[in-house]
Amino acid sequence: MLIAFFAVLNLTAINKEVKNLFYLISSPIQKTLWGAGDRASDFFETISEIKNFKKEADELSFIDTLRCARVNEELKLKIEALLAENAELKGLKKENETLRIALGLGLEKEFKLLLAEVIGKDISQDTLLINRGLKDGISKSLPVINQQKALVGKIGEVYSNYSKVILISNKESSFDAKIPESDIQGVAMGKENGKLFFDLVPKEKEIKESDLVVTTALGGIFPSGLLVGEIGKVFRSDVEVWQQAEIKPAFDINELETLFIIVNP
Amino acid sequence: MKKILILILFLYILTLFQASFLIHFKIFREEFFSWALNLVFVAVILINCFTPREERSGIASAFIGGFFLDIFSENFIGFHVLILVAIAFFIKFILRKHVRIPAVGRA
Repeated sequence: MLIAFFAVLNLTAINKEVKNLFYLISSPIQKTLWGAGDRASDFFETISEIKNFKKEADELSFIDTLRCARVNEELKLKIEALLAENAELKGLKKENETLRIALGLGLEKEFKLLLAEVIGKDISQDTLLINRGLKDGISKSLPVINQQKALVGKIGEVYSNYSKVILISNKESSFDAKIPESDIQGVAMGKENGKLFFDLVPKEKEIKESDLVVTTALGGIFPSGLLVGEIGKVFRSDVEVWQQAEIKPAFDINELETLFIIVNP
Repeated sequence: MKKILILILFLYILTLFQASFLIHFKIFREEFFSWALNLVFVAVILINCFTPREERSGIASAFIGGFFLDIFSENFIGFHVLILVAIAFFIKFILRKHVRIPAVGRA
């Protein structure tokens, strides 16, 4: 009887209405808890980093100290070089921004965007709950990005006032992507828990670590040129026809507070 | 009735805490720990272990907890309810058949 009840509930639209009602009631509490959780995790991560640093410092011997001093000198030189490069890049950034404004190529000009706030993360992982739904004109499969134009995922379930975002690391997510530098095409597949793989890449193509991966317009799911992440470890095997590479997503799930939905992909 | 209302409120807050607060901590995002450290699961198991066998609050807590977990998860409504109700029945069965603790089990 219980199973029959749930079957009826899930097969009709009541399911969505019930969920939407609960999200509506819970969103103020969820928003507060989301913010508090974000701050608390940052605090504890900082403490654990300080502890690790202290432990490493205690373990250093005299020779290590001398080696550290030499490395320190080298790093100082590197910092100086990077500062010079940074200053140059700042100038280029400013120039780029000016050009963007002048040419009307700003993010909001490129796509029609809708701002959404994250109010919760799904217990079953790799989905987010945002405060935009049918009433805001949201429909299934719309791409979701962050401020840095990095791809976060796509809209999954849509309720009246809320929607679920299926992250690119979700196991149901797979889309065409490429490495623009070497023009290597492949498929980005979600592997759960924030992990993502660049798959179906011919073995003869050479993938390098830290290569950037962007979306392509193939498949029609996402617009081309959205940043997916950077290549991590590459897996090559003589037996396999394809090679695989880990992708480090360009977004940090803990820092996702506001997102943009591309309404006209 | 009062007990059920308290259970609803308690499990609702626990689910929200799990879904919006604890999820920020790395350990709760690991595949195994997201199940093992699920506060609603832990609470339902404890309620079933420490309430008298004749009382229905154990099964009710499994139903309510499962329902809230389903609301705040991607799964269909009933997924966690069925799992938790099965766990609750199993605990009650074990307690009735194989465990004799003088302090627990007297209504």
